[in-house]
Amino acid sequence: MSVINFAFLARPNIFRNFLKGNTSRIFSLNTTNYSTEEPPEVQEAPETVTREPSEKEKARDRTKVIPVETSIRYLKSAAYKETYGEYLVWEQYRRNHKGMFPPRKTRKTCIRKGMLSTGNPCPVCRDEYLVLDYRNVDLLKQFISPQSGEVISYSKTGVCQKRHQELLISVERARDFGYLTFDVPFREYDYSEYYNEKNESKK
Amino acid sequence: MSFGSNLRMFANKASLCCNVNKVTLELFSRCSTVAFLQYDKDPGPSFSNPDVQKLLKSMTRVQLEKVYKKRSVSDNTVEYKFMTSEQLEKQFRKAAERAEKLIQMPPIVKVKEDSQKVISRDPALTNFSNTKFVIADITYGVNSSDRKILVRQTDGTLEYAPLSIRKRINQIYFPHPGRKIRLPRMFEPEHLNRCLANFQYEFILDRACVQFDPYEKEYHEITTKVYNHINESKRFDDLRSTRHFGPMAFYFAWHQIIDDLLYDMIKQDYLKNGAELVALYYQLNGIDYDKSIHEKLETLVQPQSTIQSVLKPKASDDMHEEIKNAIGKSAEDFTADDISFEFIETFVKTKALKKVQLELALQALRETNDEKKKLYHGLKKAHGIS
Repeated sequence: MSVINFAFLARPNIFRNFLKGNTSRIFSLNTTNYSTEEPPEVQEAPETVTREPSEKEKARDRTKVIPVETSIRYLKSAAYKETYGEYLVWEQYRRNHKGMFPPRKTRKTCIRKGMLSTGNPCPVCRDEYLVLDYRNVDLLKQFISPQSGEVISYSKTGVCQKRHQELLISVERARDFGYLTFDVPFREYDYSEYYNEKNESKK
Repeated sequence: MSFGSNLRMFANKASLCCNVNKVTLELFSRCSTVAFLQYDKDPGPSFSNPDVQKLLKSMTRVQLEKVYKKRSVSDNTVEYKFMTSEQLEKQFRKAAERAEKLIQMPPIVKVKEDSQKVISRDPALTNFSNTKFVIADITYGVNSSDRKILVRQTDGTLEYAPLSIRKRINQIYFPHPGRKIRLPRMFEPEHLNRCLANFQYEFILDRACVQFDPYEKEYHEITTKVYNHINESKRFDDLRSTRHFGPMAFYFAWHQIIDDLLYDMIKQDYLKNGAELVALYYQLNGIDYDKSIHEKLETLVQPQSTIQSVLKPKASDDMHEEIKNAIGKSAEDFTADDISFEFIETFVKTKALKKVQLELALQALRETNDEKKKLYHGLKKAHGIS
């Protein structure tokens, strides 16, 4: 078990799942471990390319498109509850970086060529059932600050740049469609503008 | 054609913009077929009438907690200060004054129709350009409604811009905070219906206030749709103590559908408001009634000042106060209730649409009120006060 990195230890419930042998819900995977499994003569033999992908490869695959409806159901399900508990989706995520200070920006993207390309994917990329869409209100709400009503910065949530852009777009769309409510700026009316012509006595 | 300092022109992608407007108009005309009650004559003068304003404001029942509820806006700062009790009272007074502004009712005016006002026809300019030109005077300090905005058509006609173009140009140069140049999709019928089904009344109305001007047809359609939905779902409490309660009550009274609101007021023991609503109904529909009831109620029930509700009542040894606090009503309240009862009952007998329901509610309230009255007198006797 020496391949387990610190990210596992930080999330006890996921760790427990791992010990039970249930590897389907693991978010972070170790890249080095994965590459050693691959046989070196892959290029020569064409039939080894078409072999069944291993369990870990399947877990990294992100080519399957999950519909929003599934994601909306997932956020209400017991599986979601078990994975995240009472925490927000991004709350328990920790970025990996060398030194004391994290880089100003998060990584550009976690998914390259349809596969997870990192061992510590961002909170949205790591769980394939979290789909950013304007109808997925429960998910979007987790990224909006209750104090300011704005989308929380990636420096706090750790979401990768690509997902953060998607998040901003879907929040804007959700507000446009009325899925997300917000505090509308107050409009003060000048009554004299509307009633002055008829009755000269100003209100 | 000199327009003072800043004169700007820009070519207008006329055909494209016109299409967008047409689409939204079509959408609205489709949604307007469902129970859209129009104001048959100009409601402006009646709405701005001081008596009506007073009634509407009183019905709103301002609660400072609701007016100053927590808002998630970017400048959400809190300041902590040490104060003497006089300073604190002064602050409360200021807060109450500010609350008055925050619940300012959106005006109700009649729908403004577009009219074509041609300034000059210059056939020499025909086909000078294949787009029309919009000319706007963006001098600082001019009111949005007074701003001069003209259109030079492709056939050389110079005319005042129609309302839709005016609104767009005003929004480009002098944006209203929160208003979008394109209509938010929320106001399209299917999405509006979803928002209504989720009971997001205040949000819809707030946003409609910002997005539209009170004289726009869309504004009237959306607000009436919301009011009708509230009337069906009977969730009047959602709007109570907001700026939209007055216009809603006005709408109901104008269209003579106050029964559900009156029932709600009776049920919640807001009898004075019920009497006011009935008075409003009489006033808007030109029915004579005894106007002395307002004075009677005014003298009996002290106008519920917003400051008093915030400042904690001083501990008094007055027995009257104590009994009043225990029961929630004073002797004056009981007599005021009796007056309101009579006033509402005559309305129920003559004009109400849902007579049985209202009569039953009145009956039930009268019984509980009688019990309270008995208790009140009993307590008074026990304490030896006549």
